[in-house]
Amino acid sequence: MAIRANPKLIYELEKYGADDVSKCYHCGNCSATCPLTSSDSIFPRRDMRNLQMGLESNLESSVDPWLCYYCGQCSDECPRDAEPGETMMSLRRWLTSRYDWTGISRLIYRSWKAELSAIVFLAIITGIFFLAMGFWKGDIHDYDGANAFLQSGESWYGIPVFWRMSGWGIHLFDWLLAAVLVFFLGTNCIRMWWFSMGRDRDLHFSLWAYVKNIWLLPFHFFTQKRYATCERKTPWAIHLWLMLSYVTMLILIMVFLELMWSGPGVDWRVHAFGLTAAGGLLITSLYVLRGRVVKTETHYKYSHESDWMFLILLLVVTCTGILQFFLHRFGSDVAANIAYVVHLMAVVPMLGLEVPFSKWSHLAYRPLGMYFHHVREDTVAAEQPVREPLGAAQAA
Amino acid sequence: MRIGVYLCQAGIGDPDAVDLHSIAGYAANLPGVEVVKDLGKLPRIDPKVLADEIKSSKIERIVIAGDSPGFFKPGFTRALALAGGDPTEVKLASFREYGASTGAGTDRAKSVLACATLGVPFPLAAVPDTTAVHPDTLVVGGGVAGIQAALEIGDAGKKVYLVERTGTIGGHMAQFDKTFPTLDCAACILTPKMVAVGQHEMIDLMTYCEVDDVSGSPGSYKVKIRKKARRVDEDACVACHDCAAVCPVRVPSEFDNGIVERKAVYMPFPQAVPNVYVVDGDSCTYVQSDGKKCGVCAKKCPKECIDLDQTDEIVEIEVGNIILAVGYEVYDAHKIERYGYGALPNVLTALEFERLTNASGPTGGKIVCKTKRFNKRKKADEWVFDADEGESPKSIAIVHCVGSRDANHNPYCSRVCCMYSLKFAHLVTEKLPDADCYEFYIDMRAFGKGYEEFADRIKAEGTFVIRGRTAKVHEADGRLVIRGEEIVEEELVEFPVDMVLLSVGLVPTADSARLAAMLGLATDGDGWFSELDYNAAPTETERGGIYVAGLCQGPKDIPDTVAQASAVAAGVLKSIAIGRGLDSRADLSLSDIEARAASLTRA
Repeated sequence: MAIRANPKLIYELEKYGADDVSKCYHCGNCSATCPLTSSDSIFPRRDMRNLQMGLESNLESSVDPWLCYYCGQCSDECPRDAEPGETMMSLRRWLTSRYDWTGISRLIYRSWKAELSAIVFLAIITGIFFLAMGFWKGDIHDYDGANAFLQSGESWYGIPVFWRMSGWGIHLFDWLLAAVLVFFLGTNCIRMWWFSMGRDRDLHFSLWAYVKNIWLLPFHFFTQKRYATCERKTPWAIHLWLMLSYVTMLILIMVFLELMWSGPGVDWRVHAFGLTAAGGLLITSLYVLRGRVVKTETHYKYSHESDWMFLILLLVVTCTGILQFFLHRFGSDVAANIAYVVHLMAVVPMLGLEVPFSKWSHLAYRPLGMYFHHVREDTVAAEQPVREPLGAAQAA
Repeated sequence: MRIGVYLCQAGIGDPDAVDLHSIAGYAANLPGVEVVKDLGKLPRIDPKVLADEIKSSKIERIVIAGDSPGFFKPGFTRALALAGGDPTEVKLASFREYGASTGAGTDRAKSVLACATLGVPFPLAAVPDTTAVHPDTLVVGGGVAGIQAALEIGDAGKKVYLVERTGTIGGHMAQFDKTFPTLDCAACILTPKMVAVGQHEMIDLMTYCEVDDVSGSPGSYKVKIRKKARRVDEDACVACHDCAAVCPVRVPSEFDNGIVERKAVYMPFPQAVPNVYVVDGDSCTYVQSDGKKCGVCAKKCPKECIDLDQTDEIVEIEVGNIILAVGYEVYDAHKIERYGYGALPNVLTALEFERLTNASGPTGGKIVCKTKRFNKRKKADEWVFDADEGESPKSIAIVHCVGSRDANHNPYCSRVCCMYSLKFAHLVTEKLPDADCYEFYIDMRAFGKGYEEFADRIKAEGTFVIRGRTAKVHEADGRLVIRGEEIVEEELVEFPVDMVLLSVGLVPTADSARLAAMLGLATDGDGWFSELDYNAAPTETERGGIYVAGLCQGPKDIPDTVAQASAVAAGVLKSIAIGRGLDSRADLSLSDIEARAASLTRA
C-alpha cells in the first residue's frame, strides 16, 4: 500500500501543543528511558519519527499515545529539548480529534475561542432552561420540599414529568445527558477501533484475543496500574484519587440523587461518600491547578488552552456543588438555588464538551488503547517469528 | 539605495549581550535605511508577504541583523527575488560571529550593522593599526599544540617561553595509547618533540609555572609568571627515584587519571620533560604540617636537591606575542547519574581506558575488570585494576556522546569521541579477540581523511555498532546492564556487559575562563576562546598579538591541533619578521569602523 506523507502535519500538531518535534535527532534516549515502553511499541521516538515524516496514517492507527502516562522523564532527559512527553500529550489531543466524527473536537482543540464560545453558549442555554423551569413551577425561596425551585417531587400519575422539572425530571435530565454523551463517545470509540485495529490488513485479530483481554478494560480504568509503573508514583496517586472521587460522585448523582437532596431525613451515609468525593475533587484539582501555574513538574510545564478550561470548569463544578450543600445547610435557600443553577451551568458544558470531544474522552480511549495494544501483541506473538535481540549472547 | 534592516534573533548565546532597541534606533538613522523592523526571536519568514512589503516600500537592499542572521537568509533572498530585486543584495550583520555577543556588545553590533548597510565585509573595515613587536614569544600550555608552536618559532631562531602548569610538558596526548585513524603509537610521535623542546636553545621551558598577570599592549606585553614551588632543584635532580621510594603519601595519579596512585613527590610519567621530580605541596605531609612532620625525601635525596621550604617565585618577562594553548578537560561523567559513573566500578571514562590499555599504564596494557580489595590503610574495600587477578571482560559497551550534543549538558559535538571510541573498539578486539564490543552512537561522525574507512574497518572487525543512545547503565546480578534503543531495527536492547566505557566530551579548562578574564578575550557561549574570524582568521583573537591554538579554541583532533599550532607560529613569525603586528580590534571605536567602511565604498 502506498504511504501518503503530509509534510504539514508537524505544523498542524502545533495547534495541539507540540512545537519542538523537529528538534528531535532520533537518539532513542526517550524510548530507552521510558519504563512503559517495550520492543513491540517503541514510543515516544517512533511517533516523533512519524510526525517528522508526516506519516499521518501511521499515527492515526497508533495507540502508543494512550500507553503513555506522561511522567515527563523522556522530556527531562531529552538531549535536544524536543519535549517527547509533550508531543505524546499533543498526539492524544490530535487523536481525540481524529476519532471524533462530528468535527467538534477538532474545532475546540484548534481554537480556544471556539471552545470558550461553546462553553459559554452551553452554559447560557442551561441557565435559561433551568431558571425558566424553576420560576415556572417552583419557588426560589425553597431548596427542597413540594415547591422546591429545581427539585420538587411532582409527577403525573406517578410518571415523572420532565418538562415540569420535577425531582425525577432532573434525574431524567442526567440520564438523557449521559445517553447523549455515551452515544458520541461510543461512536468515537468505534472509530478508534477502526483506525487502530479494524482496517489493519496485515494482521488478523482473532475473537479469542479480544475476549481473552477484555478484563483489561475495567482493570486499567479503575486502577491505572500502568501509571504506577512510572518511576515517580505521586502523579499516579493524584490521578487515581481525582478519578475515583469523580466516579464516586458520578455514581451518587446518577443513581442516588434523591438521597443526596438534603431534606429533613438526611442519609449521612450518602453524605459521607459525597463529601469525601467532593473533598477529593477539590484537593486534587487545586493541586493540579497549582502545578500548572507554578510548573512544578515536567508534565505541568506546558498547558494547552483546553487544559486550563477543563481545570477551571472542574473547579467551578466542585466548588458550586459543595457551596449549594452548605448554603442550604445554613438556611439560605435562595443562595443555594442560585449556586445550584451555576453548578448546572458548569456541569453541562464540562460533561457535554469534555467527555466526548476533549480531554475527558481519555477515560475511554486510554483503557481501550491498552486493550487494543494487548490484542495486537498477542496476535503478533502468534503470527510472527521471534527475532533474537541484540546482546542475547551476553544475557545467556 | 533604499535599505531595509530586519532584526532576527536565532536565540544563540546570551540574549542580553546587545541592546536591540538602541541598535534599531541607530539603524534607522543610517544613510539609505528606509525600513527597520524587529522580527523577534526565530521568526517564521513568509517570502510572499515579505515580497509585498519590499515592493511597497521599494527596498533594494536587505540587511538581516542578529546573533546568527544566516539562519534566515534563504527566506529573505527568495522574498527579494519575488519582489523583483537583486537577490545578491541580502547582506548579513552577524553580531555574534563578529564578537558582539561578549564584551564589546552594542557598539560592536552597530558597527557590524553599519558595514552591512554599506555592503562592506566587516573584517575589511575593522582592521586595526599596526604596532612595533617585541621579538620574544610566550606560549601558554605545553600540550601538543604548545610544543608544536614553540618548536616552529624556536626553530626559526626566535626566543620562546613555554609555560606549563604541571610538572611536565606533553599534555593529554602523552596519556594516549594510539592515535586514530592510523593507529600510530601516540608517545612515539610526541616524545621526540618533547625532548626537542627540552633541549632547544631558543625555548625557555618553564614547567610548574602559571601566568599570573599580563599587562602592556599588543607588541609589548609584560607578563608575570609565577614559578610554583617545585621543591626539587630542576638542574640537580637526576631522577633516581629515591625520594618517591620513601615518600609515605599516596594520592591518585593525575597522569593515569586516578586509576593508580602516586606519591607526594613524583615524576608525572617516566618520559617526562624535564625529567625531574616534583613535590606536590597539596598532599605533602611536610608542607601541610608546616615542616613539623616527615621530610624523609629531603634526607634521602643523594643529590640534596629537595628543598621542601621553597616558596612560589614571580618572574617577569616581556614578549611581543602570546600564544594560548591551554587545552581542555574532559566532561565530568559524575554529572550524568544515569550512567552510574563513580557508583559502578567498571564504568570507565575514555581517559581512564586510555591509561588502562596503554602499555605504559598500570596493567601494562592488559584490559582487565577492576577487582575488589581491602585497603588496610583506609580500612575499606576499594576497586583497583590488577593485571594478574583482574578478569578479562567478555563484553564491553562503549557509549558515545556522553555530555556532548545534549541540551542538558554540552550542546556541541566534541568532535573526537566517535573516532576515539572506534579506536577503543579496535584495541578491545585486538587485545581480547573473544570479547564482544558494542558501540552505542547517535551519528557516526567520521569526518576526516581516512576516518570513514577507519569506521568501516572497525565494523568489519566484528564490533556491534548500534545506532541509538544509551539511556541507562545499572547493576544486576553483579554485572552491568546497559539499556538503549536500536533505532534501525526499532527495538529496545537491554543486556549485561562487563565493562562500560563512557566517551566523555571535551570542555574548556578552568584556566581558560581565568585567562579570558585576565586578557580581556571573548569566549563563546560554551567557554572556548573566540577567534577573530571563524573562516578567515581562526588563530587570531580580538586582541592584537594574542593567538589561540589547539583545543582551547574549540574541540579538534590531533592533526588539526598540530596544523593550527603551526599556523599560529606562521602568524607570530610574520609579525616578528616585519617587526610590526596588528593592534587590537577591540580598541577600534564605532566611528573608526564607520569611517573606514565609508571610505571603502568610495574607493
